[in-house]
Amino acid sequence: MRVKLWGTRGSIPSPGPETIRYGGNTSCVGVTLSDGSLLALDAGTGIRSLGLAVAEKPARLNILLTHLHLDHIQGLVFFAPAFCPQTEIVIWGPASPEASLRDRIARYISAPLSPVEVRELPCEVSFRHCPESEWEIGSARIRAASVAHRGPTLGYRIDDGDSSLAYIPDHEPALGADLDRLEKDWISGFALAQGASLLIHDGQYADHEYPGHLGWGHSALSHALSFARRTGAERTVLFHHDPLHSDDFLDGLQREAQERWVALGGSAEGIELGAERGEYELSARTVSAAALS
Amino acid sequence: MSQRPLELILARNLMSALSTPAFLVDEGGLLVFYNEAAGILLGKRFEELGTVGPAEWGSLFGPFDEAGKPIPYDELPLVIAVRSGRPAHANLEISSADGARHSVEVSAFPILTAHGSQGAIAVFWPTAPGNNGAGR
Repeated sequence: MRVKLWGTRGSIPSPGPETIRYGGNTSCVGVTLSDGSLLALDAGTGIRSLGLAVAEKPARLNILLTHLHLDHIQGLVFFAPAFCPQTEIVIWGPASPEASLRDRIARYISAPLSPVEVRELPCEVSFRHCPESEWEIGSARIRAASVAHRGPTLGYRIDDGDSSLAYIPDHEPALGADLDRLEKDWISGFALAQGASLLIHDGQYADHEYPGHLGWGHSALSHALSFARRTGAERTVLFHHDPLHSDDFLDGLQREAQERWVALGGSAEGIELGAERGEYELSARTVSAAALS
Repeated sequence: MSQRPLELILARNLMSALSTPAFLVDEGGLLVFYNEAAGILLGKRFEELGTVGPAEWGSLFGPFDEAGKPIPYDELPLVIAVRSGRPAHANLEISSADGARHSVEVSAFPILTAHGSQGAIAVFWPTAPGNNGAGR
């Protein structure tokens, strides 16, 4: 399984000279399974670049949406494969008692917010609510579960052979809870992340910023470290960077994360902040990071 | 490993922050949590008791009706809420670990989700002066 980060930013695209290294595009992760199947995790603005990378290839694509906040769907109408008639796209996402996944996404892909409507997309597109039980896409087994965020939100676990990826980009498991003391089965998202080869997890705030954002649905560094430690993920990538955080700020946050991770008994290589275009090769019991492109 | 439904996790987190005594049961009626205020009322912290089955918690603390007779398990608000998926309310007495009786009002409501009932919450409000385990 190969994982590539196409958008690591949270909330709103943040392009500019101060966000070049970690990137300004919002959430999107490309996953190439061992059988060659392609998954996109979320469809923030990062999916535009992912689409350009695969646009020449007629393909079947699965897009797994964690939730429908704009920073996770904004790139859909700029996703080149969606305008290719040969492409079949299946969009998975959380169910809601209020409306179907298609209808909720169509609120964005419709006038006046969008120049095209869902029915006008040239590709063959379908929308599916994630089932409660595990299902298969290509060579992978996929599991989705509700996690603590604002509104219906899922986290995903993708098991492919002996490697596993947990993707929980928007997550506030510490809201009203002490992650260091709570029983494991009472921790939001725990089962998704337990023992994962790679955990991509919300790390939006520095600790000193969190009190001003309590209940906003995101984690402080301490929470992400506790979650990673409790779940025993082999390697953790902190994700969904705050749009106000410059590269220099994030460098400092990464240093702090690694120092604290080492103090907790981990290795400095076991945790890092996700950078746009960062790639990870997941194989049994090992995760290696490719050089940033 | 099995994972508690998110709705129960969030309910527990909320209850942990409340000064109102509150109980949480899962979809099978298992008592999976009560908060510190409830522990004060009952004279026993949840950590001391742990998770207990429906028949057991139904008898641990009474409950009794206003005439002092034990209330059948099936008639307890929490049981009604979790079984029938509707709110229930009652005035009753419970006994704490030291044998003291406390008059309380109980309101229970089901935790209904897109995947059906995941359990129920009961909130207790002590009605007699001096019995109040809440707000301490």
